[in-house]
Amino acid sequence: MPLIELKNVSVRYGEIEALRGVSLSVEAGEVVTLLGGNGAGKSTTLRAISGLTKPASGEIIFEGKSMTGLGPEEIVRLGIAHVPEGRRVFPGLTAHENIMLGASNRSGVSKDQIDQEADAMFDLFSDIRPFQHVLGWTLSGGQQQMVAVARGLMAKPKLLLLDEPSLGLAPVIVSKVFEIIKEIRRRGTTVLLVEQNARMGLSVADRGYVLETGRLVVTGKPDELWNNEDVRAAYLGGHARTAAKA
Amino acid sequence: MDMVFQLLFQGIGIGSVYALVALGFVLIFRATNVVNFAQGEFSMVAAFLMVIFSVDLEWPYWISFLLSLGGMAIYGALFNLGVYFPLRHRTYLPVIISTIGASILVSNSTLALYGPQPQVLQPLLDFPGFNIGTVYLDAQYLLIIGLTVVLVAFQYWFFEHTLLGKKLQATSQDKEMASLLGIPVATMIMLTFVYSAMIGGLAGILVAPILFVSIHMGGTIALKAFAATIIGGFGDVAGAIIGGLALGVIETFGAAYVSVPYKDGFAFLVLVAFLVFRPQGIFGERVAEKA
Repeated sequence: MPLIELKNVSVRYGEIEALRGVSLSVEAGEVVTLLGGNGAGKSTTLRAISGLTKPASGEIIFEGKSMTGLGPEEIVRLGIAHVPEGRRVFPGLTAHENIMLGASNRSGVSKDQIDQEADAMFDLFSDIRPFQHVLGWTLSGGQQQMVAVARGLMAKPKLLLLDEPSLGLAPVIVSKVFEIIKEIRRRGTTVLLVEQNARMGLSVADRGYVLETGRLVVTGKPDELWNNEDVRAAYLGGHARTAAKA
Repeated sequence: MDMVFQLLFQGIGIGSVYALVALGFVLIFRATNVVNFAQGEFSMVAAFLMVIFSVDLEWPYWISFLLSLGGMAIYGALFNLGVYFPLRHRTYLPVIISTIGASILVSNSTLALYGPQPQVLQPLLDFPGFNIGTVYLDAQYLLIIGLTVVLVAFQYWFFEHTLLGKKLQATSQDKEMASLLGIPVATMIMLTFVYSAMIGGLAGILVAPILFVSIHMGGTIALKAFAATIIGGFGDVAGAIIGGLALGVIETFGAAYVSVPYKDGFAFLVLVAFLVFRPQGIFGERVAEKA
């Protein structure tokens, strides 16, 4: 049984169909990367899983149970943490406070314990340790990304959704972020990763899916995808492929 | 010189009332991004609850006081459920209209029940006050200032040192992200309304023995508090407090040295001056919403 399974999920934003019958699954312990260009529906897929966006049709099954009709607050309590696009660090709270609030989905945990767990996060994210008492809005993009991922891990998720962790970061910071993703993987957390940076995205993945204008076009192992014409086409906006078909 | 201290004392006293109501304004604004136009009615309703409990029913003053505050907690919860909650997914405009509607409904219901004649409420303390030198410290003003200090200190502790306070802050900064972390956003907003109604109510109860209890008291207090938030910097908690105190002092001095009938005018003169010359207020917008 997969940890999570999407069955024929469609999402509409008014007139626009952002996802058209997407079916995919992630096994426990896997790191799966969703690739695709702008507007392919990568973020929408994550938003549908975490409950921020309600699918128009289709079903999402987590640990064998349907999540239809659940809101984001309930879904994160089931063990799905979503680190959204743009990092969304609370600007008026410190890095440490941001990370502590990541545990809000867990009940019966004392403030002291959360405090200690947040301290322990800085072992994994040692780059932001000196900035732990600095307000979120003053942090750099890379620091915010690390706070956002650490905050996601505080939920002790069974499934971690990461949306474009490399977006807008300097290459040296991107490799640091991906080192952390490798470490998260070593610790056994299942990850569904959305990336535009295909090389980085596939470097940490067991499998990948390629989305194009709301549809899954191809799936496979990282090296298969990396050598696939469709993947390259998808990254060039898909025109080559469409033109070839016509 | 004594005159100056006397006026300063009274100005800070009445300014504390504005500060409390302004605080309620700011907390609701930060949690919902909407200005609550029925904020003044929180004070008015609480004052009338005091009249019901302590004057009409003749219950002991302190019991009436606690019952009124408890009543305001319930009122805040109902206000949230009736006025804000059904419209929470809409833009700010329907919510603002809804709060204006609530304000009209509540004041006219009170008018229907109590009529237009102002009610009188006795001061909370039995002794009237005392002199330091030639400066007369009125007990009611001392009580207002004292309770405001306690409340502001409590609020600071609550928001800075408790997890619930942090969750409330997170909710006011990014509701969607808060819900993704499992923070119960609807509950956080409910708590904000309850607390806001209670501090607005406290301000109403405290100021009632100084002003009269009437259906118009809410409107006057709310306008002053609104001006205070503009002066302090809209959405800023410290700004609301400083703005409220400044406004109280300015209008007290204005009344004493320039003109008593134009007392209320000074508040709005200052408001207009700020809107023209420093619309971001004293503290400006320190926290950039989007980093």
